[in-house]
Amino acid sequence: MIEFITIPGVILIIGAAVISLFSERVRPVLFLLFPIIAALVIITRPEGYTVNGSLLNYELVLMQTDSLSNLFGIVFALGALVAGIYAFHMKELGQQISALAYAGGALGVVYAGDLLTLIIYWEIMALASTWLIWARRTPETDASGMRYLIYHILGGGLLFAGILWHSVVEGSILIEAIPMEYTPANILMLLGVAVNTAIIPLHTWLSDAYPKATHTGTIFMSIFTTKTAVYVLIRMFAGWELLIFFGAAMAVYGIYYAVICKDMREILSYHIISQVGYMVCAVGIGTDLALNGAAAHAYNNILYKSLMFMAVTAVMYSAGSSKMFHLGGLYKKLPWVLGLYVVGGLSISGIPLFAGFISKGMVIDAAGYGGHETIMLVLLVASVGTWLSVGLKLPYFTWFDKEEFNGELKPIPVNMYIAMGLLAFACIFYGVFPTALYTFLPFETGYEPYTVYHVVEITQIALLTFVAFWFLRKKLAPELTTVLDLDWFYRKAAPSVRALFVTRVDNFYDRVEDGILALADYLSKKFKNPMLWLNPFTDKRNEASRYSPSMEVVMSFIILSFLVFAIVYLV
Amino acid sequence: MKNIHWIILGIIFIVTLALEFTVLAGYDSHWWNAIPAFYAIFGFVICYALVYSAKFIAKKIVNRDINYYD
Repeated sequence: MIEFITIPGVILIIGAAVISLFSERVRPVLFLLFPIIAALVIITRPEGYTVNGSLLNYELVLMQTDSLSNLFGIVFALGALVAGIYAFHMKELGQQISALAYAGGALGVVYAGDLLTLIIYWEIMALASTWLIWARRTPETDASGMRYLIYHILGGGLLFAGILWHSVVEGSILIEAIPMEYTPANILMLLGVAVNTAIIPLHTWLSDAYPKATHTGTIFMSIFTTKTAVYVLIRMFAGWELLIFFGAAMAVYGIYYAVICKDMREILSYHIISQVGYMVCAVGIGTDLALNGAAAHAYNNILYKSLMFMAVTAVMYSAGSSKMFHLGGLYKKLPWVLGLYVVGGLSISGIPLFAGFISKGMVIDAAGYGGHETIMLVLLVASVGTWLSVGLKLPYFTWFDKEEFNGELKPIPVNMYIAMGLLAFACIFYGVFPTALYTFLPFETGYEPYTVYHVVEITQIALLTFVAFWFLRKKLAPELTTVLDLDWFYRKAAPSVRALFVTRVDNFYDRVEDGILALADYLSKKFKNPMLWLNPFTDKRNEASRYSPSMEVVMSFIILSFLVFAIVYLV
Repeated sequence: MKNIHWIILGIIFIVTLALEFTVLAGYDSHWWNAIPAFYAIFGFVICYALVYSAKFIAKKIVNRDINYYD
């Protein structure tokens, strides 16, 4: 029992239940306590530690540790902690419970040793995270949250179907590397994981929902869902070549939208797709260096992507809008937020001395030296796009462009600054001391990030991209637009589908119901007093209750009998 | 951007070029290593290509009125 409740995922899910018992003053502190306990458990458990259980005839591995799970586990626990600090001022119980349960689900997936345990935590993540969208309580977010939930129920269903099929065919539910065979079970599982990885064209839930979630909800969402899925890909689908092409396509697709979009949270959401593309591509390459790169890039991405989301959310919290059209000229009023954002921007763009440099180069090199030079160039195109979109365009039109921001600014709570400061420190720390991360990677590769070639490569790209951006910046000026994506097909199709399967069916049943009621009405009127039509000669005003058979009725029967006899006789 | 900023960027660029033609002179891992200042040209050209193609896609295909889905 004690082993069960010290599983990191379970600790956070218990935490989600426990915090509901306390007042809103205590809750934010308690919220932080549970990720700390989970992190301590992760640090103290040796590699190879397992907790077993059973369900019906299945032997479950509820927890299993190794270097890969610990790498993701520790960054998820710390991510939940820092996001909790960022959300310290937020008192809403529903969001606190769902955020902690969501983080618990992610940690549960990371330490799950079998597929049934995995799918349970997988679904907890989907359900808990949906509330972070619905909690904004607007018609737009209600609809978006529903689309998000349906998408994840579909993804979870595909994964579960694959797991069941796999368990029947293979006779095992243990999580292990799957050989590259396109069997129905493997395809179903891969599709299920692909939904959460936001592999195009299954990515639209992300770009639809993340920009609409609550202020603090987006931070949690940017940390867990896609990275958990990347973890599962590394664990189960390493070396599946199909992923190389999908990953490279994601990297460029996300970049295009990040260049096109004009809303800060939309830009960063699309950029998640691009960054996850690097990881998916690395998983597809499947070499030790590539898998190390995927894991390290996921780790770093959680640091700098959540830092960037926190910075733009702080701007949104303060200035009241996430649309760059309404912003600009904030550098004098929110200089610290700019500084912290820039640390994230330099990190994600892979600039030397920042965290992204030590992991992105690993993925790009793994492609270049793994016989995929074209893919390497595609990833370099995505690097240019990253620097252009989130490194230059977003901060330029948010903090600069105009002389000064004219609107009212709300003060930013200090806890937000503390959270961003911690992440910015981590981004610089890992950039300067890469071995602090490399030591914990699953494979020993001897990769050296700070070579003259790497530094010259990225510096030249960054410098000349900046020059080109400076010449072209007016072309990227913000405007108020909706940017269509593949979700157009189901969002625009929704009214027609609803018309066909709901409204028309409803109308048909309405008409049938009206017809039956009209018939019932007619018949009840007719049969209310049958004597009226049995005896057409009677007074129409006669009522059944007061009617007594009279001579007319007797005469009617005599004539009727006569007619019947006459007909029979004649025939 | 003040002139001093451009000068600093220019100096950094010259340093990278100097490194490329000295320390990395014999470096030959990829076919494009034979092209001088490849990564600088790459960054500049790709940035132009991305901006113009993204503008084209935005204008012709994906951009709609802000209330499109309402």
